[in-house]
Amino acid sequence: MTRHDPAPAARPLPNPGWGPLSALPGNPLMWVLILSELAVFMAFFVLYITERAAQQALFDTSQQQLDPLMGGLNTMVLLTSGLLVAFAVEAVAARRIRRTRQWLAGAAGLGVVFGAIKGVEYAGKFAAGITPETNTFFGFYFGLTAFHFAHVLFGLVLLALVSWRTNRENVETAAAFWHMVDLIWILLYPLLYLLR
Amino acid sequence: MTIMPGTRRLLTTWATLMALTIVSMVSARLDQDGWQALPLWSAALVVLVTGFKARQILLVYLNLRQSTGAWRGAFIGMITLTLLLISAGYLYARLM
Repeated sequence: MTRHDPAPAARPLPNPGWGPLSALPGNPLMWVLILSELAVFMAFFVLYITERAAQQALFDTSQQQLDPLMGGLNTMVLLTSGLLVAFAVEAVAARRIRRTRQWLAGAAGLGVVFGAIKGVEYAGKFAAGITPETNTFFGFYFGLTAFHFAHVLFGLVLLALVSWRTNRENVETAAAFWHMVDLIWILLYPLLYLLR
Repeated sequence: MTIMPGTRRLLTTWATLMALTIVSMVSARLDQDGWQALPLWSAALVVLVTGFKARQILLVYLNLRQSTGAWRGAFIGMITLTLLLISAGYLYARLM
């Protein structure tokens, strides 16, 4: 494949025969999942900001218990992991399978680091007696971050699977999911940690 | 076949995203002692930076640059709408 970049209309579609989804890379069904997951998170974000408006004093007091630096560090970890996954897609497109697996392993390793930092944060909260039951803010904090973390874990499983069955479609599919996890965190971080 | 973003573009995007993360942390005045509400300009900057970061992830990491305008518009529109709703809720709480 050359780097020549023809006009979009002249390019063959990644998934011909999939109707509106044919222009998206990887498995089209993954994009259905991505769209639905994004919609679910967006609904929760709007619910959070509505509750925040209704209970601002409580949310302000509770938000002070979070560590925005840890959240920022985790943002950087996920962004770097996303870069490595994008490198894996480049490598598999060039049929460099061993290199693809190395990039995927690096990305998964950073996913584990993200989980470890989140674990430290959770442990600190639990040690201080803060749980999802503490109040509405912490219900959202634990609910949203744990739901996101569940996606990180699922993403790690996908990265492991495509490291085993390494081909372009599989890697593009897992990469799309991993970038969605990244994208959601990009929105979640300022919402929970920064906007006050 | 999809055209890849290329190593250089990916690295530039990553560096931009990392820098913007630091900008949003600084905008949120994490350096200050004590906890206080953000000035509106800081909050606006945090939201704008978040929107730009999300756009870069969609266009470069997810490579939607190579997809159709309809898909780019759908994803970017979804993120924009979410950020507008978040901003509206935030402003309502601040100004009411």
